[in-house]
Formats: sequence, structure tokens, C-alpha cells
Amino acid sequence: MKKTIMATALIAATGFAGAAQADKLDDIIASGTLRCAVVLDFPPMGMRDANNEPVGFDVDYCNDLAAALGVSAEIVETPFPERIPALMSGRVDVGVASTSDTLERAKTVGFTIPYFAFEMAVTANDGAGIASYEGMKGHTVGAVAGTYEAIALEKQVQEWGEGEFRPYQTQADVFLALSQGQLDATVSTSTVAMANVKTGNFPGISVVGKAPFDTDYVALFTSRNEYGLINYLNLFVNQQIRTGRYAELYEKWVGGELPDLTVPNAYR
Amino acid sequence: MFGYTFQWNQALARLPKMLDGAVVTMEVAVLSMLIGIAFAILLTLLRLSGSRPLRAIATGWVEIARNTPALFQIYMAHFGVASFGIHFSPFVSLLIGITFNNAGYLAENFRGALKAIPDTQTRAGRSLGMSQLQAFRYIILPQMLRISFLPMTNQMVWAVLMTSLGVTVGMNSDLYGVTQDLNALTFRTFELFAIAGVIFYIITKAITLSARLIAARLFRY
Repeated sequence: MKKTIMATALIAATGFAGAAQADKLDDIIASGTLRCAVVLDFPPMGMRDANNEPVGFDVDYCNDLAAALGVSAEIVETPFPERIPALMSGRVDVGVASTSDTLERAKTVGFTIPYFAFEMAVTANDGAGIASYEGMKGHTVGAVAGTYEAIALEKQVQEWGEGEFRPYQTQADVFLALSQGQLDATVSTSTVAMANVKTGNFPGISVVGKAPFDTDYVALFTSRNEYGLINYLNLFVNQQIRTGRYAELYEKWVGGELPDLTVPNAYR
Repeated sequence: MFGYTFQWNQALARLPKMLDGAVVTMEVAVLSMLIGIAFAILLTLLRLSGSRPLRAIATGWVEIARNTPALFQIYMAHFGVASFGIHFSPFVSLLIGITFNNAGYLAENFRGALKAIPDTQTRAGRSLGMSQLQAFRYIILPQMLRISFLPMTNQMVWAVLMTSLGVTVGMNSDLYGVTQDLNALTFRTFELFAIAGVIFYIITKAITLSARLIAARLFRY
């Protein structure tokens, strides 16, 4: 009798210990839902279709991840500046939100290996007479607050010492301001630039060239201490490339030459 | 649960930048109040005037300012007017938006204050040989400003807080804009916004306290 009780207690104790150690990956599997922070103002990575449903590269990526985990996906619309609050307040599990993996940010959140890479393009108002990246010197330029290109462009404007930089809250506001002539030019990812110019919603603007910024590698992110989840996400990103799904999604949403996600001569 | 470690030194290292932002916030708030009071007095006069169109303009202003969100007013002052080819910088757009809002609310405050001043005072002034405008300037206006002094400080506090809406029109030099820029850079959201909140609190508290001191000195009978 005593032995049975002890055994039961032991099993219960291990059970509790196991529960106490459950990490986010366990939580996601147990809850049956993967909640992804996705920016839906950032075509073609995240946007809404005619039925107001979220679609885009990041949305598909989240769905793939949920399928791999055997859970259902929940897309949580998250504007750029709200990605971290959404994660930290526990409203989302993972950020699939085209987030640049800067070292400064990695002090706060945990990044995976890159799952996408952007090239930057300059889009200008046709009336501004800007034909290249250098042509922006002295002009009023802008970008979406909180993005890689906004940080780089603001720094560039400070280096030039003339002109003005304005961050707007959404990509739509940037292109609206550009179309109205409030901005002379913007730097955005080339995919976003192409997608927005093509819609015809913003007359009088065109893509005029590339911006010589470093390739903008973007990564999935989650809480910095969730090694189990980060480990899984790294393998997932690797598998997406290995199985050709990355190329498939790229062709579906962006098209053209597939960006290389590896850095030459580096380990990771 | 809360997988986040607060690192205050990371945010506090950026405090000087945030304080620079606080100065800009104060600039916008003070300017918008000064211009707002001037416009509010004008609106009050227009509403007292005999001309129907002038009264309609003033009423329209007050109605829109009081019954639409400040965000809408600021957005309109930037993107709205730009559709007509008029371009304002984010600073000016924000200033116009808040000033418009201030003027509307203050005009309504002034109207309430006027109600508290008996008509007979104007008539007494008139009978002493003052013109209508002189009676307003020397008898009514000082009392009106005195009665509505504390509501005005309320509006001043509101103006300070409204500057945070400037980010929607591309403003990045005010306290909120600076904070958001730093947030994008470091992702230290909680620390940075907590500090910004404290700075906002200190500013508004300083306004209400100093207003009370000023009122105590100015309005001693």
C-alpha cells in the first residue's frame, strides 16, 4: 500500500515538474492554436484580399508553420510599432512580420535564422526630378516608422546634412504622402514598391532605382528565452527552403529572382 | 509568463533625446494655446456679432472642433489639405490641428464664462460712453479670461497630450515621436514608453500646479 502511494506521488511529482517546465512550444501544441503577429499593411508580405481576409507571404508562412506544428493558425494583425508589445503581452506566440534582425533588437527579442531578404528600392514623385538614390539628397524623404529602411534612411539624411526625413505610421500613408507630393521620395523594400506602384492607387510615382543599403534579412521572432521554440523555428525555416516551399511562396507572392538567405563566408 | 527582462539602463541612456522631444512637445503645446486663445476670442466675438454668416462660420468651427476626434483634425491638416496641393510640414500640421481643436473648445469655455457676466455690465459701460468693442475689451474680456482661466489650463494639459498624435502625420521630433523612433531602434518598448509616460505626467502636473499658483496670485480680491 505504502509503495503504491509513493509511486503515485512520484508520478504526480514528475507530472507537475513536467508541467512547470512546459515551454512556449508546449503551450502552443497544447492550446492547438499558433498566434502569429503579421503586418497586414505591407503588401505582398501581408495584406487583405477583396473579402478582407489576410493574405500574403507572411500569412502563408504562418499557416505553413501551424500546419507543421499540427495546430490551427491565428493571424493577429500587428502594425510595425506594435510587434514587441504584442509579443510581450502574450497576445501572439511568434512574429512573422518581416522583422529585420538587428543586433540592437536582438538584445530584446529572440530571432531565428533569416526567412526572407529584401532589397531596397527608391520610389520618387515624378515631379521631384529624382532619378537615383543620390538624387534624394536635400529632398524631403520618408519611410514607414520602425522599419529597417526608415532607420537607414534617417541616418543617411543626417549624414547628408540637408533635406528632411519623415516617418509615417503605415506604408499606405507613405505612398499617399509621396503621391500628394508631401514627400519627394521614399525608400521601401523593392517588393513593396512594385506592389504599390502597380495598384494604381497612388498616381504620379515611380520606382527610380535601388538603394545601396545592406541586404535586409528578416527573421521570425519570439521571446528571447524560448530556446525550444527558436530551435524549432530555425529548423522550420531551413525545411521551408529545403523542400522548395520558400521558392514556391516567393514565386506566388513576389516573383523574379529568389533572394539568397545565406551570407557568403559565414557560419550562420 | 512575461518573458521579458526590464533593462532600464538601455532606455535611460536615451533620456537626453527624450527630453529634447519633451521640449518640442512643450513648444507645440504653448504655441497652440497662444494662437488658440486668440482664435477663441475671435470666435467668441463672431458668435456675438449680428452677422449671420459670421456666426455660422464660428459655430461651424466650434462644432467640428468639439465633435470630431483630434486625430481626424490633425490628419486633415496634413493629408486632407494636401489633396488641394497645400503642403504643411508635420510640425505645422500638428500645430494647426491642435490649435483648431483648442480654439473650438476654448470658444465654448468663453461662451460659458460670458453667461456668468451680467449683461447689465456692458450696458453700464455703454452708458459711460464706451463703444460696444471698448465695453467688451475693458469690462467683459478680463472677467471672461479670469472665469475661464482654470478650464484653459485643462485645455493646455489636453494640448500637451494631443501632441502624441503627431506621429500620424510624420512628426518625429516631439516626445512621443522620439520615443517611437527609439522603440523601433531598440525594441525596448516597455521601458521607453514608461519613461515617456512619466515625462508626460510631470509636464502636465507642472502645468496644473503652476496654473493654480498663478491663479492664486492673479485673482486675489
